[in-house]
Amino acid sequence: MAHPQIAAFARLAEGGKAPVRRIEGQETLLGRASHAIVYDEIHDEIVVPQGFAQAILTFRGAANGQERPIRVIHGSRTQLKDPDPLAVDPVNNEIFVPEDNRVLVFAREAEGDVAPIRVLRVPDNIRLRIPGVFPAQNLLVVSGSPSQGERNNQLLIFDRRAQGDARPLRVIGGPRTTLGDDVGELRVYHDWIVVAHTVTGKAPADPSWPAVSVWSVHDEGDVPPRWSMNLGKIDGVSVDVKSFDLDPKNRAIVVATGRKPNNSVLTYSFPELFEGRD
Amino acid sequence: MAIRALCVAMVAVSIGWGFQKTAAKGTSTLEARLFGSWSLPSEAMRVISPGSAGTVVAVVWQRQEAAGVARVAEARSTVRIERKPIRMIQDPYPTLSAVAVDMERNEVVATDENLFQILAYGREANTPPRAAMTEPQWRIAGDRTGIEFICGVYLDVPKGDIYAIYGDVPGLMHVFSREKQGNVPPVRELRTGGDLRGRGLAVDEEHQEILLVSQHNSAVAAYHKQAAGDDAPIRLLQGDRTGLANPHGIALDRRNDLIFITNHGQASTRSTTGVDLSRLKPNIPLGGKLAVPGSGRFLPPSISVHRRAATGNESPLRVIQGSRTQLNWPAGIIVDERRGELFVANDTGNSVLVFRADAAGDVAPIRVLKGRDTALASPVGLFLDTKNDELWVANYGNHALTVYSPSAEGNTAPRRIIRTAPPASEALMIGNPGAVAYDTKRGQILVPN
Repeated sequence: MAHPQIAAFARLAEGGKAPVRRIEGQETLLGRASHAIVYDEIHDEIVVPQGFAQAILTFRGAANGQERPIRVIHGSRTQLKDPDPLAVDPVNNEIFVPEDNRVLVFAREAEGDVAPIRVLRVPDNIRLRIPGVFPAQNLLVVSGSPSQGERNNQLLIFDRRAQGDARPLRVIGGPRTTLGDDVGELRVYHDWIVVAHTVTGKAPADPSWPAVSVWSVHDEGDVPPRWSMNLGKIDGVSVDVKSFDLDPKNRAIVVATGRKPNNSVLTYSFPELFEGRD
Repeated sequence: MAIRALCVAMVAVSIGWGFQKTAAKGTSTLEARLFGSWSLPSEAMRVISPGSAGTVVAVVWQRQEAAGVARVAEARSTVRIERKPIRMIQDPYPTLSAVAVDMERNEVVATDENLFQILAYGREANTPPRAAMTEPQWRIAGDRTGIEFICGVYLDVPKGDIYAIYGDVPGLMHVFSREKQGNVPPVRELRTGGDLRGRGLAVDEEHQEILLVSQHNSAVAAYHKQAAGDDAPIRLLQGDRTGLANPHGIALDRRNDLIFITNHGQASTRSTTGVDLSRLKPNIPLGGKLAVPGSGRFLPPSISVHRRAATGNESPLRVIQGSRTQLNWPAGIIVDERRGELFVANDTGNSVLVFRADAAGDVAPIRVLKGRDTALASPVGLFLDTKNDELWVANYGNHALTVYSPSAEGNTAPRRIIRTAPPASEALMIGNPGAVAYDTKRGQILVPN
């Protein structure tokens, strides 16, 4: 893309309404192709990966304009290779960064050239992708798939404190899950695991049903989701979710799309997800 | 009806919980699949009642234990919901990323990274201040074109060919014919692959070469001009010594046989240790999988100057870099060989910087075009019309092409402006967002590019 930025839009913005602020410019250290962003409500911080320079950037929650990050994790000790998705545990103050078949865990307040405080490894043939954390039950959820051959995704559920070659506590995966090839995004909200299926995945199990689906962190095996919300069509084309986040206060889910529809942010009501979990 | 659907849903959920409690006692079957050997039963699911909008589809499934003997039938339902968005943020107007002038046909061609199209206007078009916008004379757009996130353009004027590159799709370069407009497929496709997603494009007519800049892998690859399909590059410039670091624009200096590259300033080291080199396609940049962990670098933005035919891990001849340069996410770049000047679209600086073409080190620009009257807003694309002696700028931030004298400086208003949107409409600049977050404190949606 021509212009790296983090644009902040008012919740009720619609159409071509301009963002209320932008984080942009050389000072920000931002690059293009940010495939993760986390807003840490407890500490009022924004955390993003910087894949080109192998770094994790943390900004003030109110950052605006050409503002430097307040912390940067970066350097030879970090073991960062191609940081892409990440998750933040604001309760236990940790940042989780999957890299191939490992999850690197950093102290949230780490800065500079620091080693991870622990590393979780799975077998070499598994590629870990998108993490989520449930601090109340000390659970780490990571989407993953075999790196060769079979492409179906699974959701691996670990003890949050797992390290080394620890095995998952349980795994959700299989044809009934319809996880397919491409888990576009994953969030853990209380004990729900919320996952985006994408249309442009190489072989979504159910291409007629591009959706955000929900499992419990207690689920296990080849189980279909508890909820699956189809995001409908815009101008006759199924919505292709690239990413999403949750707005618990307004019982909504906010979806970002790149191609279908092009360069858009959509908000959906999803009260079922938040019922009884405030 | 809604209450009925809700009741059905609640029953379904309670069935699901029942299953969960049962299954939790069993073997971790998927774990066995990942970490050992395990095969799934062939039967997948059976629909008990047909689903429709807002209703529930119940599912019966069977679980096979790892030993392959016991089969336990369980019921588990998915509540399937269909919803339409309650709000949608989307820029309805073009976001202009590159520009080129057809000096024979008196046309200007621009690329639109937001709505995925190529737009052509009369060269002398000038949107009146109170007009909503200027409509293009013609366009190439639609699902048959394959255009997505288009960020670079070159016009082969004698042939009427339009070369286009895309910044964020799995590595393609397309050639369209000016004679085939509308929703038409390209006349030629070059599949460069995901490790050579183009960001900058230059075509060297003298040597019949295409030069593509890889932002993701900090590299420049050269192809034969007629390359198509899966043809491999003929040359590759990549490596720590090259000074390439998140490169964007590329400019040819034919007179001095040089290329100029703008760099945002981030890169990491690649290594082929332990890699079967025979499996790598020749001259394709080494991708992120071959990055050395912890080797990433943040460097000041720069303009690196290389031999046109530089190859391998070859050092630049010189580098323009430092605080005096005012570089701030430099993007498009062009060389004025007649005047010996270098023009840089300085994205976040909202300026066009002009350097001596032989500048090196931490030098100040000899001219700066910047200010409210210039109408510059996140300029990313440049073109020098040598026939009419005009400098064209594609502004990513305000839906406008602006035209100046090449000698313009300071807060100089453009000679003409082609607006593709109503006056003062700020471009959202959303570009293939791969992530989104909700700022619960401020009630804001955070969208990175």
